[in-house]
Amino acid sequence: MKFSNEIKVGLTIISATVIFILGVRYFEDLPLFDSTYDLVAEFDNAGGLIGGNIVRVNGVSVGSVKDVYISDTSGKVMVEFHVDPSIPVTEGTYATIAGFDALGVVRMDLVLGPTDAPRIPEGGLVAAATGADLMADLSDKAPGMIEDVNAVVGQLNRVLAETNTLLSTPDSDFRQSLSAARGSVQQIEGLLAAERDRIATILANADSLTSGLNAALGDNGEAVADLIAQMEETMATLNDDLELFHETNSQLNELLEKLNEGEGTLGLLINDPSMYHRMDSTISGLNGLIADFQANPGRYLKEMKIVDMF
Amino acid sequence: MIVVKPTLDIILNPLESLGRFSRLLFHAFGAVSELSIYRKNLWEQMVKIGVDSLPIVTMAAGFSGAVTTVQTAYQLVTPLIPRSIIGAIVVPSMILELGAVVTGFILAGRVGARIAAELGTMRVTEQIDALESMGLNSIGYLIVPRVLAGIVMFPVLYVAACFVGIGGGMLIGDLGGFVPAEEFMKGAREFFQPFDPIFGVIKSLVFGFLITSISCFKGYYTQGGAEGVGRSTTQAAVASCVFLLLADLVLAATLL
Repeated sequence: MKFSNEIKVGLTIISATVIFILGVRYFEDLPLFDSTYDLVAEFDNAGGLIGGNIVRVNGVSVGSVKDVYISDTSGKVMVEFHVDPSIPVTEGTYATIAGFDALGVVRMDLVLGPTDAPRIPEGGLVAAATGADLMADLSDKAPGMIEDVNAVVGQLNRVLAETNTLLSTPDSDFRQSLSAARGSVQQIEGLLAAERDRIATILANADSLTSGLNAALGDNGEAVADLIAQMEETMATLNDDLELFHETNSQLNELLEKLNEGEGTLGLLINDPSMYHRMDSTISGLNGLIADFQANPGRYLKEMKIVDMF
Repeated sequence: MIVVKPTLDIILNPLESLGRFSRLLFHAFGAVSELSIYRKNLWEQMVKIGVDSLPIVTMAAGFSGAVTTVQTAYQLVTPLIPRSIIGAIVVPSMILELGAVVTGFILAGRVGARIAAELGTMRVTEQIDALESMGLNSIGYLIVPRVLAGIVMFPVLYVAACFVGIGGGMLIGDLGGFVPAEEFMKGAREFFQPFDPIFGVIKSLVFGFLITSISCFKGYYTQGGAEGVGRSTTQAAVASCVFLLLADLVLAATLL
């Protein structure tokens, strides 16, 4: 079937027109086929809002800003916007400008009024509330902040200057500490370099030791446990013995005390010198007797002979 | 005098061309009233300039939209910027610039060259003189339908280019994993300016007029046989592109 030129052209133009209108409505956040519901809000500060920005209700996009201009009469910012006609924009609804201007994502938020209140008529004015305009808040607080920042920057400058002096003076403590530290580090490095082989050996030894220990513990775990149990037993016995020893010791102490005080036979023996003296004189007497016996045995042998006779 | 003449020619030749161009346009607009006589010719030109150009224009626009998306995604390396920004960059680029300019360049090559070659051949084979001798207004018969077809059909091609270009960008963004289609459109809608497509249509009207009128002018005043036709064809395509870029800048500077 062959179409005439007129039909071809007409079809193309109509398709393009439809695509154009629907496309623009789509990008403007307008419903593609329904009529729109136009409203106006009056702000002191638009906060960077421009035509095309989104209008949201509870975070849902419901329309877009049509135009933003300064009113000739009041000098305030008038924001014309349209929303989906199904949204109940009732009396008591108010609009805020939200988002962050510096990132270019400014939007208008509508907080809807009570659902049973009458609807705001087409083209009606929606009350505006000062929104969370971050930049405006920042601007309000800016003078104080700038003073603080100035003070901080001044202090920072002083600190930096002092640090600079400290760093630039060749014989400052800091420089000396640094150079000493550098020297130490160099020495340590030298040592490490020189002893690298030994350190490696030590580490290898430690490694083999721990691994050996590991292996021993792993393989002979039960034996080690037995050993420990036996050791514990021994220690317990040793403890008992020590207690006994302690007792014995105290008794011995008592005995020694008595001895010291000269109580009893042994005490007297130790403490009384008279016995010694007597023994000494007896021994010396005995010595004299032996000497006499050796010198004059006859004197005594006579007696012996008598004895022999019996 | 020998030195002065070439210098003067540099200034005078463009002025002379502008004068002849204006005269041609003046005659053409004077002949608009006779359009009803040449209506059949207008429909034919609309099909040739508009409908027949749709495949190449949409293909080029689709690719430029896709490439813009890929390259924007490539350039967006910081995680601070949401990926929806890709849509906010590609769609306005397409609507404001690429849709009209890519279409313009393609039409300068496809339509401009054809018009200049057609009219040039008619001129050198004295067909135009024949038309005149038969009592037909050659400007009304040959030029007005072409220029009008350009003015009417160029915005149509522009809309098609934008539609396919944005679709191509969105598709490649989604398939290539750069940005999901929904996020792409969210970004585009967030930064959409209602004036952008109107500006695009104004641009395409101007481009349509420039390309067809310049090509008609070059073709209508062809001189020197087959070689002259070739020269006119080349000049038509080159001049169309140059004036298209110039008009692009002037329009952006004045209207945006």
